Amino acid sequence: MKCAADKIEVLKEMINIGVGRVADLLNTMLCSHIRLEVPSLKILSSDELETELCKCGNERLSCINLPFKGDVIGVAELVFPAESASKFVIALTGEEADTIDMDSIRAGTLSEVGNIVLNAVMGTISNLLGFKLRYSVPSYTEGNFNSLLPVHPIVPDTRVVVVQTHFVVEKLEVEGSIILFFEMGSFDKLLEKLETSYEGKKR
Amino acid sequence: MACILVIDDSAFARRMTSKALKAQGNEVLEAESGHHGVELAEKHEPDGIVLDLLMPEMDGLEVLNILKDKGLDIPVIVLSADIQESTQTECMEHGAAAFLKKPVQENELIEVIQGVLCSK
Repeated sequence: MKCAADKIEVLKEMINIGVGRVADLLNTMLCSHIRLEVPSLKILSSDELETELCKCGNERLSCINLPFKGDVIGVAELVFPAESASKFVIALTGEEADTIDMDSIRAGTLSEVGNIVLNAVMGTISNLLGFKLRYSVPSYTEGNFNSLLPVHPIVPDTRVVVVQTHFVVEKLEVEGSIILFFEMGSFDKLLEKLETSYEGKKR
Repeated sequence: MACILVIDDSAFARRMTSKALKAQGNEVLEAESGHHGVELAEKHEPDGIVLDLLMPEMDGLEVLNILKDKGLDIPVIVLSADIQESTQTECMEHGAAAFLKKPVQENELIEVIQGVLCSK
């Protein structure tokens, strides 16, 4: 498996497996079928990243960040349009929007959901490749596309790898995205590990 | 009826876990941080602890170590979103009695707690 394109295909498949686990978890939590899209993977400069995220327009978004380090460094994010986030919280807590302090409950509930969902994706990749990740406590932000930028500033001239996948919770008409930002050096390490692991399994 | 201490920084997670435990007639104590959890464990010596791993300031592994250092022989069930096999191994090496992945089904949680308490 020498070609980078091949490695990226295998990585996308691993992410698919992780997202499949997410669908299973959300299905259990929300009792609804989850529709998944094939993940896309882009290698971008920090300027290109900003342009890419601008495509989200000025829509209000809810975002949960899970930074990770260890064998690879980056940030995993779960992003919902604000309206979807509210439906999600109401479905999980069983409370009506006008009877609860949505702001405080919303942040806490979504942070925990993000923690579970993002760990499922990253943990699946980590288990498949046999490396170890250490997570920071997830954080919750609301705002426009700027809130999608990773919490720690991206050093200018570095490149980031953005993996994005979209899911729809059919019964609730809720949609969301999972975005993984890898620092470029880390991404190279990930691809190397992928090759070692893949070749090892072939023998 | 057993007394179970739930240590988790997420109010949502504490609420879900406590609800499942109380439905089985257990008494539940709640701590929103590792520090508070250790305090309650020393003060009340509960029959068991359900412990989250990823928490600010003092994480679950630190809690396990402190409980061991203080000689508190309370079975700890780690309940974490971190599904890495290496994390599960690390927790068991640090003295956890069981490891469960979030979100846990109510019956699975109860079954594991009963098993752990029976073998105490």
